[in-house]
Amino acid sequence: MAEPVSRSEPEPSAPVDEDELVHAARRGDLAAYDELVKRYQQRIYATLYHMTSNHEDANDLAQESFIKAFQALKSFKGGSSFYTWLYRIAVNKTINFLKQRKNRTHMSLNDIDFNAEHDPDMMALISEQTPRRAAGLTELQEKLNAALLKLSEHHRLVVVLHDVQGLSHEEIAKVMECNVGTVRSRLFYARQQMQGFLADYLKST
Amino acid sequence: MNENENNFESLRRLLALKRHETPPPGYFENFSREVTARIRAGEGGSTERRVLEAPWFFRVFLAFESKPAFAGGFAFALCLLLLVGIVYAERPDVAPQELLQTAQTSQADSQLAVATPVNLIPQPADQPAFLSSTNPVFNAQPAGSWLASQDEVVQPVNFTLPGN
Repeated sequence: MAEPVSRSEPEPSAPVDEDELVHAARRGDLAAYDELVKRYQQRIYATLYHMTSNHEDANDLAQESFIKAFQALKSFKGGSSFYTWLYRIAVNKTINFLKQRKNRTHMSLNDIDFNAEHDPDMMALISEQTPRRAAGLTELQEKLNAALLKLSEHHRLVVVLHDVQGLSHEEIAKVMECNVGTVRSRLFYARQQMQGFLADYLKST
Repeated sequence: MNENENNFESLRRLLALKRHETPPPGYFENFSREVTARIRAGEGGSTERRVLEAPWFFRVFLAFESKPAFAGGFAFALCLLLLVGIVYAERPDVAPQELLQTAQTSQADSQLAVATPVNLIPQPADQPAFLSSTNPVFNAQPAGSWLASQDEVVQPVNFTLPGN
């Protein structure tokens, strides 16, 4: 009779320490890296999507960022968190990409989820006279993305990371490798510009 | 800073709409699998590198798009080349007149004239260096004149122009 096989592997649902996963991935363990990708894919994709306003570009850049990070894992010294380091790779890659495709912007926007239509803040932004709510939201989405694309890459990044992603000034400073004061001044300038671009939509709010 | 935050409150509410933009359903289910598959396949291809691997004319087109000054410089060079081409193409109309004047001067002196246009035509090294011509109009082509060397031996000829 065969003895029961003892399973030393952790349960799939059990949280594994990030450092352990990073060390395993550095040794070439793709399963560990797969877990890391799953942890950060949404946040990385979202940042790149908000930077490019293009789903296909964001998808390509996000995949390439994860591949590049895996290839560069040996150079990761652990001076910052893996998340910050990964963010830095993705952001630098995206800024280089945006500089190359300058003046060739093409929006490919994702759909707005169902929750937006029930968000009181969103509803307040749409004029009561708008006959069709969905049309109002779509128009607003396009204007908002067009306004974001008018900002320089560094100003757009600060707005996306702070006002959309919710990162703190300190976290943004680490990702962008600059001081907190620079982050604050960039954010202030970018918001001022955005207010100018979206003046028609901000009057009534 | 708090006052600034209040000033931008409506903008922040508007930007919150971005959080509701989501990729197609099921998009993230295959994402990590695709990444690890690409790593296994040894792919390192990047969007930037794909641009560099594109055909040369596509890269030139991209360079024109991203650097308007480069496009302007290229257009200027093209215009200059066209202008030089036009000026250069009109030159053969002038050359025979110059040749005629040379021939007339030579006859007046009753001496053998040196066929200057012939002298200016470059010759291959394995051919005899003696040159002569009775067809000055044909040889008066300016092309290649700046290639001529100075130490070639030239056979003097006498031109007899019709009507003189």
